Amino acid sequence: MRRRWLVQPDHLIPVVSLVVVVVAFASAPALSGRPLQPFDVYNALQGFAQLGLLALAIGITMIAGEFDLSVVGSYAVGGMLAVSAGATSPALGVLAAVAAGAAIGAVQGGLIARLRIPSMPVTLATYIALLGLAYAMSGGLSKSYPNSDATLWVDQTLAGVFSPRSLLTLAIFVIAAVVLGGTKWGRELRAIGGDRRASRVAGVTVDGLIVWLFTVSGALAALGGALLSYSYASANPDPGLQPLILAAVAALLGGVSLAGGRGAPLGLLAGTLSVALLAQIVAVTALPDFTTQLLYAALLAVIVIVESPGLRALSDRFRARRADG
Amino acid sequence: MIRVDGLARAFHGVAAVRDVSFTVGAGEIHGLCGHNGAGKSTVVKMLSGQLAPDAGRILIDDTPVELRSRQAAQRAGVALVDQELSVVPALTVLENLLLGDIDAPLVNRRRAALARCRRVLDDMGLSRIDPGQPLSALSIGDRQLVEIAKALSQRARLVILDEPTATLTDVESSLVFAAIRRAVAATGCSVIFVSHRLAEVLELCDSVTVLRDGRTVATTPAAELTVDTLIVQMLGEPPRRLAADGKPDRDLAHALRISRLRVPGRLRDLTLTANAGRIYALAGQLGSGASDVLRAVAGLHPTAAGTVELHGRPVPVRDPVAAVRRGVAFLSNDRKSEGLFLDKSLAWNLTATRLPHLVRAGVLRPRREHAAARALAELIGLPAARLGDAVAELSGGNQQKAFVGRCLGRDDVFALLMDEPTRGVDIGGRAAIHHLLRRAADAGLVVMFASTELDELLELGDVIVTMRGGRLVNRYEGDVDGALLMRDMTQRLE
Amino acid sequence: MTAVPVRPSASVVSLALPLIALVALVGLAVTTHRFLSLDNARAILASTAFVGITAVGATLVMIAGSGVSLATSQTATVAGMFFLATQQYGLVTAVPVALVTGVALTGLQGAVIGYWHANPIVLTIAAGFAIGGTTTWFSGGTPVYPEVVAYEVLNSTPLGLPVAVYVLLGVTVLAQFTLRGTTPGRQLYLIGSNRAAARAAGLPVGRVTVIAWAFFGACIALTGVFLASFNTSATATLGGTLTLDAIAAVLVGGTAISGGRGSAVRTLAGAVLIAVISDVLLLRGFSTGIQILVKGILVLAVVVIVHLHATRSHR
Repeated sequence: MRRRWLVQPDHLIPVVSLVVVVVAFASAPALSGRPLQPFDVYNALQGFAQLGLLALAIGITMIAGEFDLSVVGSYAVGGMLAVSAGATSPALGVLAAVAAGAAIGAVQGGLIARLRIPSMPVTLATYIALLGLAYAMSGGLSKSYPNSDATLWVDQTLAGVFSPRSLLTLAIFVIAAVVLGGTKWGRELRAIGGDRRASRVAGVTVDGLIVWLFTVSGALAALGGALLSYSYASANPDPGLQPLILAAVAALLGGVSLAGGRGAPLGLLAGTLSVALLAQIVAVTALPDFTTQLLYAALLAVIVIVESPGLRALSDRFRARRADG
Repeated sequence: MIRVDGLARAFHGVAAVRDVSFTVGAGEIHGLCGHNGAGKSTVVKMLSGQLAPDAGRILIDDTPVELRSRQAAQRAGVALVDQELSVVPALTVLENLLLGDIDAPLVNRRRAALARCRRVLDDMGLSRIDPGQPLSALSIGDRQLVEIAKALSQRARLVILDEPTATLTDVESSLVFAAIRRAVAATGCSVIFVSHRLAEVLELCDSVTVLRDGRTVATTPAAELTVDTLIVQMLGEPPRRLAADGKPDRDLAHALRISRLRVPGRLRDLTLTANAGRIYALAGQLGSGASDVLRAVAGLHPTAAGTVELHGRPVPVRDPVAAVRRGVAFLSNDRKSEGLFLDKSLAWNLTATRLPHLVRAGVLRPRREHAAARALAELIGLPAARLGDAVAELSGGNQQKAFVGRCLGRDDVFALLMDEPTRGVDIGGRAAIHHLLRRAADAGLVVMFASTELDELLELGDVIVTMRGGRLVNRYEGDVDGALLMRDMTQRLE
Repeated sequence: MTAVPVRPSASVVSLALPLIALVALVGLAVTTHRFLSLDNARAILASTAFVGITAVGATLVMIAGSGVSLATSQTATVAGMFFLATQQYGLVTAVPVALVTGVALTGLQGAVIGYWHANPIVLTIAAGFAIGGTTTWFSGGTPVYPEVVAYEVLNSTPLGLPVAVYVLLGVTVLAQFTLRGTTPGRQLYLIGSNRAAARAAGLPVGRVTVIAWAFFGACIALTGVFLASFNTSATATLGGTLTLDAIAAVLVGGTAISGGRGSAVRTLAGAVLIAVISDVLLLRGFSTGIQILVKGILVLAVVVIVHLHATRSHR
């Protein structure tokens, strides 16, 4: 029974990724020449906190068979709003960011659900618009955050390896895992990703679910951006495509399939940790930056080739050829 | 108790159901039978909330109900198991059972749900299935059984099963029957069992309603019926085809030779030789393997095995591009998703497969293309004025003509395989399609089609091959009785 | 009740709204100071050239149903680097070297997508990493400088327009001709319209997909060549925001992301439209941020309208 649980791709992939990366992390001293320190783990967890909410946001939309490209836009705008509105009250800034992210997501979800438009072009367009909005809000430059107390608080070391930011991110992952694992929404999300038509026929309220899905992903991304901008004490209007791509990689390493129907928040957690640890390994061992890029390329290539329907058909044909009389 | 009174429904002015009335008592298993086009599926759609009737009433326990949606039907106590599976392979068996259930709580109560799932599965004879298994790990038959189990467990007042055993083995079918009987005994629900497997219908049902041409022919207790009397009720005067077509066998070198063709789970060792100039009809209901024969020859079954030879040259059985190159033209029964380019014009659809012939010096010549499109349009009987219309805007019959037209008039097509040639086509269109197929055969092609329509099989097939359960049952040339074909297609296998 | 999505307003929206918007735009443009001048027209064309060339190539890929590529910027960068690194052999060698780089890298991705039906997003993300990582590896992180400057001619402006504009027009004509007048072009539309039907009809899905991606690769390489000539040196950021800019231009041109429809000329118009709107906003004193914001809204509007228009006949 346990073996069967492991063999499923949405469990196998994140477990393997995480185990491999943790082992590599633990053996990093062999390459770097100095032993691992709690600071290294702290840094890795900070990296996790930076990417985590983005990966969760894009991950849950991928589980449902959609793709929210606008998360980086909400990330940037969330950061901007938090810095602007949270100068005296950081909590207010966070609230403003989350509300904005949720609103953006709700509008997109509405368009996608009611008009049945594929999510990619809609979220891509929204991403561009949000990028512009972030630029407009800051005049094209980074906007600095004056509240240094908040900045220090958010990143202070707890138990040597954690920070309020990474703990909060972890907590949100756990909440997501509990909500999706413990309620009917979890299976409904996977259902609409696995077979949209069958889900509708079976009675799932697909449209409402999609609106909620994008609302949540927008809110999560905005929250992530808000926390990051507090940490950096400034909001960057243009983080570029890199965070989006890293978030997608984290999701894929977390066992989510682009076709939808597969994946869970804990898997996404493992995937994000893998990405963060990988980055930290490269930093610790002073490997050149491009190693991470080549590593990601290799990992993704394996995933895409293994998942492609063409390959499966090829193996079917091979088996059938042996049966040819 | 369910009562249906004077139901009627038309589509685009064509009546699918004219006047259907019957009653299903509480705790009764009621069979619904009828040949193609009799109106069975329309009645089922009306009972399950997918369509609104134009006239007539539906009464549940003597109260008229209006079923405006699937959810409304569910709330009214109607559960449906459709022909197309509505279980999600990505989810586990347990999750599928809970999916969409209006009684399922928001917060999962795992132990209670698991116990209930175990009970439901056991009632179905599926003790070997683990609820924690992903559905994708189950065979298609088992998935269907899970879906049926789900419907039976929904505490419904009426459970409608639409061709539930079409793709099941006989062993699996008996599991379904036992589960139905148990559910009826336990909850007193009514069951409507729609099926073309007449022997099964008589075995399971208490009474049977037969529809013909959208009207109720009779409702008779099963004990008073036999398969033959049932067939008579379904067909009226059983159609016959008199005398052979008189055509001698054409040149054997142009034949389509199929040897030990098999597709795991669908088709078992079929051997058949089809000669050029004749039309071969594969007569078989859903799940009989008739459609799979055509698809396998066309290279669309990646797990097919066996040998196929056309015009003396071997045709690779798992490669659609190679099959086309060897002269196989295949028209799927799903012209919408696998046949036509719906948003493209008629002209584009007609010329889609002959583009290399319309090219000179690497460039597509518009004049040649227009000429070819016009010639084809004329061949299939569509006005040239419609060549610019998107195919999605054409009627079903015209769409099918467009589909056929693509394969005609080419010297590199040697075999024309068509799955359900006149599905969704009106009477006039049917005659036109049949005419086209006959012309193709006269032009020297091997023409083979699969169909469930008795009239069509008798009218068009020079040689009729009946199939059931993935195997060839009988081969008929010359004089053949429609009732006999029906028997072959619906009999129980030994 | 059958769930038939009834949108009676769809056809009205898809016609009236763009018309109104176009009239508003024209009105806005002609009343903008300095808009109606030759210099301004030249500036608009010049700013569309680089992205436009790539966008035309991306159109073929989108029509084929392969969606988008997220490796565009990296591919342009590496093509530009190879271009500069081979300057000493003259333009006659350097340009083909860049082209071959682009075609090979992108065509390979097209093969995996066409023959094995791999997911384009994941594959191009992986390719982007591979190309970007390898580029940084081999260049050692330092900019690539040309030993000899043979590319000056590419920066010249015959008749006041940059060479890139002429190349853009040429590429557009070539792409349009391929799409409308050749067998692979027609097959591209059919495959994008319904891949399963194309396969069942025996159309060469794999081969045609590779052709589309190879053409795209050549276009990316051309853009890389021009970018390298313009910047006179190539760093890892040479490609800039090419990936998204190209996609935006294709979408604004009315090509559907699901495939089967679109044209090179429309993409060119889309690129020009984006440039015109940005120009009007700039002349009227709006910030870069507002320009980008409006661009995003424009893409969204066109995507919605194209979708409504395309699905109105599907019941």
